[in-house]
Amino acid sequence: SEMSKDMLPGPYPRTPEERAAAAKKYNMRVEDYQPYPDDGLGYGDYPMLPNKSQYERDPWYQWDQPDMRHNWGEPMHWDFDMYIRNRVDTSPTVVPWHTMSKHFLLFLSIMLIMFGLGEIYPSYRPVGPKQYPFNDLYLERGGDPNKKPPAVIHYEI
Amino acid sequence: MAWAPPPSAAQLYRPNRFVSLPPELDPATYDTSPEKLRAEAERLAIRSRLKRQYLLQLNDPNAPAVIENPALIRWAYAKSQNVYPTFRPTPKTSFLGAVYGLGPLLFWIFVLKADRDRKKKRIQEGKLKRSPLSVFF
Repeated sequence: SEMSKDMLPGPYPRTPEERAAAAKKYNMRVEDYQPYPDDGLGYGDYPMLPNKSQYERDPWYQWDQPDMRHNWGEPMHWDFDMYIRNRVDTSPTVVPWHTMSKHFLLFLSIMLIMFGLGEIYPSYRPVGPKQYPFNDLYLERGGDPNKKPPAVIHYEI
Repeated sequence: MAWAPPPSAAQLYRPNRFVSLPPELDPATYDTSPEKLRAEAERLAIRSRLKRQYLLQLNDPNAPAVIENPALIRWAYAKSQNVYPTFRPTPKTSFLGAVYGLGPLLFWIFVLKADRDRKKKRIQEGKLKRSPLSVFF
């Protein structure tokens, strides 16, 4: 691109003049401009914008790019490609997050514990071995048809 | 005896990393102090200047085919080419580099080695069912 070096992002701003110049470069107010903390992680002087997804922006305003809900020249969030409307959505939920997670984890843990207990201590009605007819299926199991099968009686009178 | 005031609606809601506070519960929506109005006016001035530049390029009959967005160029540059010059080895970055770089490698080395050792032991004890038709070893 034909942008000059001072229009592109640079290192972390140390003096107030550098901060003012960086705010002007990113089209932000000096009070709004807040760079990422200087941890050496590679952010440089890029502004730290609030972590809100594009879903939260006004759907009825005439954005320059309506699908991205983004205006021309407006500083983009570092994770802009994550916060587009097809992906992560940080809109406020009807039920608070801690209530939702508490209900879900309680339900899941109770169900898993009960299933686990059911595996360790199974309980069912008393059963006996299965009784097959025709002398314990002698012919079906490949017994010789010319020999007399051993008599299997399942009842008592 | 004075009890503590009841928790506000925003405190009951507790926004976190995944959900944000709705503007109806945010006290900043309802404050109409002159500083806020002046801040809003300044932001609006910046936005309208940018919009004017954009619309001039958009409706220009001799316009170039693609109107490049300097914010987009800066974003792409910051994420790709500005990372190496601004990176600095600190205790935190060295630790994270070791964890993310060497961690998975060593983890899989140990897991696969342990798995193969266990299989070898089972074969030597004769417990593993090996069908002669298998093409896998």
